[in-house]
Amino acid sequence: MIAAAIVTADWYMTLAAVLFLIGMAGLLLRNNALVMFMSVELMLNAVNLTFVAAARAHGDIGGQMAVLFVLVVAAAEVAVGLAIIVSIFRIRRTASVDDLSELSG
Amino acid sequence: MELSDYLPIAVMFILASAFAGVSLVVSYLISYKRPTPEKLEPYECGIVTEAEPIQRFPVKFYLVAILFVIFDVEIVFLFAWASVFGELGWGGVAAVTVFTLMIVETLGYVWKRGALDWNVSRRARYRAAPPAEAAQEMAA
Amino acid sequence: MIDVSYLSAAPEMMLVLGAVAVLMVDVFAKPPPRVHGWITAAAYLAAGASIVLQWQRLGAGGGGLSFGGALVLDPWAAAVRAVLLVVAVLGTLCAWEMLAGLGRRMAEGVSLVLVATAGFMLMGASVDLVMVFIALEIGSIALYVLAGIVRSSPAGDEAAMKYFLLGAFASAIFIYGGALAYAGTGATNLFDIERFLNDYLVARPAVILIGMALLVVGMGFKVTAAPFHSWAPDVYQGAPAGVVGFMAAAAKVGGFAALVHILFIGFARYQGAWSDGLAVIAALSVVLGTLLAIGQSDVRRMLAYSGVAHAGFLLTGMTAGAPAADGLLFYLATYSVMLVGAFAAVTAVSGPAGAGSSFDEYRGLGRRSPVAAAVLALTMIAMSGMPLTTGFIGKFQMFASAWDGGYEWLVIVGLAASVAAFFFYLRLVVLMYFRPGEENGRDPDAPLPLPVTIRWVLLFSAAVTLVFGIYPGPLLGLLTRV
Repeated sequence: MIAAAIVTADWYMTLAAVLFLIGMAGLLLRNNALVMFMSVELMLNAVNLTFVAAARAHGDIGGQMAVLFVLVVAAAEVAVGLAIIVSIFRIRRTASVDDLSELSG
Repeated sequence: MELSDYLPIAVMFILASAFAGVSLVVSYLISYKRPTPEKLEPYECGIVTEAEPIQRFPVKFYLVAILFVIFDVEIVFLFAWASVFGELGWGGVAAVTVFTLMIVETLGYVWKRGALDWNVSRRARYRAAPPAEAAQEMAA
Repeated sequence: MIDVSYLSAAPEMMLVLGAVAVLMVDVFAKPPPRVHGWITAAAYLAAGASIVLQWQRLGAGGGGLSFGGALVLDPWAAAVRAVLLVVAVLGTLCAWEMLAGLGRRMAEGVSLVLVATAGFMLMGASVDLVMVFIALEIGSIALYVLAGIVRSSPAGDEAAMKYFLLGAFASAIFIYGGALAYAGTGATNLFDIERFLNDYLVARPAVILIGMALLVVGMGFKVTAAPFHSWAPDVYQGAPAGVVGFMAAAAKVGGFAALVHILFIGFARYQGAWSDGLAVIAALSVVLGTLLAIGQSDVRRMLAYSGVAHAGFLLTGMTAGAPAADGLLFYLATYSVMLVGAFAAVTAVSGPAGAGSSFDEYRGLGRRSPVAAAVLALTMIAMSGMPLTTGFIGKFQMFASAWDGGYEWLVIVGLAASVAAFFFYLRLVVLMYFRPGEENGRDPDAPLPLPVTIRWVLLFSAAVTLVFGIYPGPLLGLLTRV
């Protein structure tokens, strides 16, 4: 065998944790609504990766089923989120959340 | 699963690659080459390209795309059901029927609301249905 | 082969059927608004009847898991549904004028309210982390749309956007917590997680504990606990007045309903860890919510920050674990009715679809609309925790639970914040009764039109706040008396 190291579920979960943190950082640091939105999707995909890796490690199908549900929820979020962004863009011609300052106290 | 079980897949893969590769190479070797400016342009459905694509697409593309995404993704649940089709029996069929009916209901709503109409006329007709309420919506 | 008890999901099914019926009737028959009203009322009645049947089943010793262990029928789930049904009925009445003003999109608004209610009801009944996530999203996504449903309102769009981005963020955090819990225990079902944690000595529980913390943080966003509350003031201020009360109350009830199952069942083993975490979040929420509410110049933002403080009081009680469930239910039920009542008054003042509600608009409200002013004053007094109102009894329950649980310092923090909170609650009351409104050249005594639906909501919420405040017996201890 040429495998220098055996890739275990831990590797995938670490990768997922890194992806999740990248998504989180993107959401908190960027100010373009579309980029923030993509960051959320990245976070959800990190969740999927964790579920699949854990399902493999436990030899349990439940995690793979969970992925399907997360996928569908993500699609529903895409639909609503993009609709809101389009709706705002029509009025303001911008997708930057920094320009959203109608509300403050 | 034995490693040898993968052999047919490997053979299939090699054959497919070889067929595609040989076809490309042979047609390249034996074909005539008379380039004209039109032929060198990026292929766009056979119509002569006139200008760069506009930066913004009409929003109706978005509407259709998003509806496609929704209906497309919902179908994954059928995949999960299909993988345990035998075990679930008629109960599973009933559940999936309910699920499908819900999707059809959504499709029906979207269709009747006019979201699938490429021309806006029908949506406008829907909006205009009772004049009083249309005016109310304009005001809202 | 899969145990399915339709009764354990019947209220949600009724509401979803109602939503489907509203949409289909609208699109095929194009009926006048009152037809939607009848269908909605029928859906609420059917859901209420299902909840009564659930109580009877529970009384006869029935209930338990169904749908492959995804849903549970227990007193908590049934009681939370009843609370949410009341919130939904009041919220629909409150929002009716706004919804009817949507024209052809009215059916969408009505069905979104129904679907959101069904989603939050499911949250209270779910005992599988994936199911909780789906229920959470059913409710939340409907609320994102409701926040921006008035197309012409830029403030509404902005509220929808902020709600959506932070809500999606919170949902992602929540389900990542679920994924880590699954990685650590091999189960997403809360009863399986409980069994795993009881049966095995987990040598390195870090993954499970991080997962649990993320689950709490995700729900913390939804129930507007500090420091995860930043979206609430903007959303409450920008969303159309009619639905804000429903949005705020339903999300809070749903979030706490799920949190109770997650922590009290799934992670009961780690109570030492999550109690301390909840205590910190509770103290932060109570202090920050109260301090920030004092400086507000908009009634809706003030109510949002007061909601942060109330989330803190609820979390204060939760630190005690399962024994606090009765008090939590009482607090959730009475606070959500107060909240919807207060926002009904706000709706009357700022118009059915309006955004923002500055304190100046409330000057002299006592003369312009005695009913709205009286009920708003009563809810403010109740929220501040004065005796003879439900607010006092709810808070007392929470503090007693925390004290028994050994969090004396938290009770002292809560009491101090309650005293400080009198300031901003009473400020509004003083403004309504003792400060005349003469600015903008309008007649200060011009009577405020009060739609009949809003009048009902106001009177009902006042009645609940007073009756259960004086005689809490029937509502208190409901869970143990099944």
